[in-house]
Amino acid sequence: MEQSQELTLVARKPYFDLPTACPICLPVYIYLKLSRLPFTLEFNSIYPDSDQIPYVEYGAYVAYNNENDGVIERLKEKSVIDLDSDFQAVPEWISAKAMIDSWLADAIMYELWLGSDASVADKIYYSDLPWPIGKILYLKQVYNVKQRLGITKDNAQWREEQIYKKAKMAYEALSTRLGDQNFLFENRPSSLDACFLGHALFTLQALPETSMLRGKLLQHDNIVRYAEKLKMEFLEAGSSSSVPQPHSSPSSSAQRRGTWNWSSKPKGKPKREKTEEEKKFKKRAKYFLAAQGIAVLLFLSVMGRGSAEVELEDDDEGFSYD
Amino acid sequence: MSYPESKPDPKPQQPVNATDLDEEDDLDDLDDLDEEEIEDDDAFIEPERPKSRTAEERAREEKVKMASLVRRMQSGAVSLRVHDVIIKGNNKTKDYIIEAEVEALKNASTIQDLLRVSSAVNMRLQALEVFDSVAIRLDSGPPELPDTTNVIIEVVETANPLSGEIGAYTKAEARSYTVEGSLKYKNLFGYGDIWDGSLKYGCDHSAEVSAGVSLPRFKGLVTPLTARAYLLSQDWLKFSSYKERSLGLSLGLFSSSHHDLTYNLAWRNLTDPSQLSSKTIRRQLGHNLLSSLKYTFKIDRRNSSLRPTRGYSFVSTTQIGGFSPDSRSLRFLRQEFDLRYAIPLGFYRAALNLGVSAGVILPWGDGFLSRPSSIPERFFLGGNTSPLCTLGGPTTLWGFKTRGLGLTEPRRQINDENADPPERDYLGGDLAVSALADLSFDLPFSWLREKGIHAHVFANAGNVAKLTENEYRNFSMRKFMESIRGSVGVGLVIPTSLFRMELNYCHILKKNDYDRAKSGIWLTFSAPS
Repeated sequence: MEQSQELTLVARKPYFDLPTACPICLPVYIYLKLSRLPFTLEFNSIYPDSDQIPYVEYGAYVAYNNENDGVIERLKEKSVIDLDSDFQAVPEWISAKAMIDSWLADAIMYELWLGSDASVADKIYYSDLPWPIGKILYLKQVYNVKQRLGITKDNAQWREEQIYKKAKMAYEALSTRLGDQNFLFENRPSSLDACFLGHALFTLQALPETSMLRGKLLQHDNIVRYAEKLKMEFLEAGSSSSVPQPHSSPSSSAQRRGTWNWSSKPKGKPKREKTEEEKKFKKRAKYFLAAQGIAVLLFLSVMGRGSAEVELEDDDEGFSYD
Repeated sequence: MSYPESKPDPKPQQPVNATDLDEEDDLDDLDDLDEEEIEDDDAFIEPERPKSRTAEERAREEKVKMASLVRRMQSGAVSLRVHDVIIKGNNKTKDYIIEAEVEALKNASTIQDLLRVSSAVNMRLQALEVFDSVAIRLDSGPPELPDTTNVIIEVVETANPLSGEIGAYTKAEARSYTVEGSLKYKNLFGYGDIWDGSLKYGCDHSAEVSAGVSLPRFKGLVTPLTARAYLLSQDWLKFSSYKERSLGLSLGLFSSSHHDLTYNLAWRNLTDPSQLSSKTIRRQLGHNLLSSLKYTFKIDRRNSSLRPTRGYSFVSTTQIGGFSPDSRSLRFLRQEFDLRYAIPLGFYRAALNLGVSAGVILPWGDGFLSRPSSIPERFFLGGNTSPLCTLGGPTTLWGFKTRGLGLTEPRRQINDENADPPERDYLGGDLAVSALADLSFDLPFSWLREKGIHAHVFANAGNVAKLTENEYRNFSMRKFMESIRGSVGVGLVIPTSLFRMELNYCHILKKNDYDRAKSGIWLTFSAPS
């Protein structure tokens, strides 16, 4: 496998001054940026309901969002980009990650699809689709989000309060954790920063000013400073192709091993290993049945062809004056 | 409806039934002939007879009259005008539906014309499929108007409006053979409307559920209007790693023997549940709105579509996508040509069939040549149908499997440890050309000849190329010709009432590394198109 092969990230389209406006794609983008690896960004704007996007291509290999805990975990697992090598066993890091992946992710999902008007989601997901398709997919997604968050007519008010309360708690905890540092843990970037920065940037730039979630985030100045600083340093520092070579120190935050080891199966049904014998048997059985069917059809059609022609002649219109 | 008063002539007035196949014993001559002619032809002037003539005498008399009429008709035109067209028997069907089909009767000026037009009108009314029987009778016109006749059309509306059928079909755009079962409800509102629901299953892993309505006359339009809503699902996972699902509406706007214009509006979704697709396919997954107009011009002067031995045919299909105020719908231009010529050779019913077909697809709009064309609209060569029967564009080649010819791309690699290279996706092409030559002849066995079973020797060639995404810059005719694939073969053709079956031995002359083609025995099924 050639190490010089480029990474390609396929994400949803940019908007709101964000390189990709989708809150699920943005953390992956930021993670690649934090690793300072060169990659190409491409967009898919006609498949808003796909859970495969974002995905990262490397040569003939692909890491899909809906496989193996997501793209970031896959990249870490296969030692392509691992910013978390020193944090995996740190309990605080793990609980902070769990908080971001659950409470803050739910809050963003609620705010985007149920808390604000449809214009934000429309700009991100449906602006390149014709109106009837976009509208139907939007309504379908709103329904799916309600199912996922367990929101019904009866508990809507209570669920909303619960979601915002948990988001507020998460912001306070992370704000305390962050303090005045540049990054959340040991002053160096990790996937935690990628996820939290993605959340923060989306909340600050994409959500409308009337958004309750945005209002709660703005109460923490250090988080706002953190978001702006990292955005300037990593996202606006230039295109990915001009990013310098990866670090080579032993405790490097961006390690890339020489060999790739993509041995997992794709999501969904893996190909069942069939023995040669089974395949041959099934093929023969198929041919046998087909031959039987053809023989019956031939018999009915060819042998019965004479009488069918007579009937056809009878149907012809004609005059007879005899 | 009562018959008009007859002249003071005891000759019985009986209408002429122009459409019954059975022997008509009571056919009679017409009352309203020229007086001159009547005077000239004694056979039509009867002296007064006693009322008590025997049936035998009457029958003899009528036979003489009819013989005379036939002689007159054979020797020249017998002039006659239509005074009135009377429609009977339509309790449910609106008058104007039937009247629109019988307009031509009013212009007939001779008996010969009238009989010919009556036959055509009868067929048109039968073709509406809402009548169990149609009878057209000619009756004498008003006595004060000589040379006139009243045409009486008696229809019997279908007693059982619900019918079902199962059939096997192939269409120009279908890749292969489909089996279809449908239910029809006829004349629900009396406008000759036919409502149908159908289920289709194709050998190319496609399934379709659709419902439609056909109106013979809609607000003064000259041709029937058809509308069909459908949900179509096609599984191309095995060949190109994607599944296609379309929910759409198809409107047949104009249809005649040579021209056909349809509009199609569909929401199409391409997915890859296997998550193994190649890069090109991955980039095209998603939703599209298809709003296209398709015009087909067809001339088929061949003597048969199952075994053409004489004549020619030409089909041109133009499809423009993007007929929508929304610029986000799929925009493309697709053109196909197909020219066939059959030359009879004069021995053993032998004929040489030559054919050439070509097609091109390009997106349109800003920067169209740098954008990719839509995968489902591209040209794919290969399949299990006979190129001789599939008229409409480059679709199949003998010896090449479904989508087996053309550009390919490796699929997603999963396992590094696995030494086998990943399978490949077949991507089709923007430009496709194919040509065929087929010599068919009877075998020297009378039993086979009776059944229509004959042999054929064939050769064909074809190629596809990519033009979009700026690949047209690398395109050259020389390279295109050098990479043409071809095959030859010999086989037995068994035509049946449902389909044409071919048992062939194909030998692949040339194929590319990744083409799916094999030399050997092939069985193909085609329904004539």
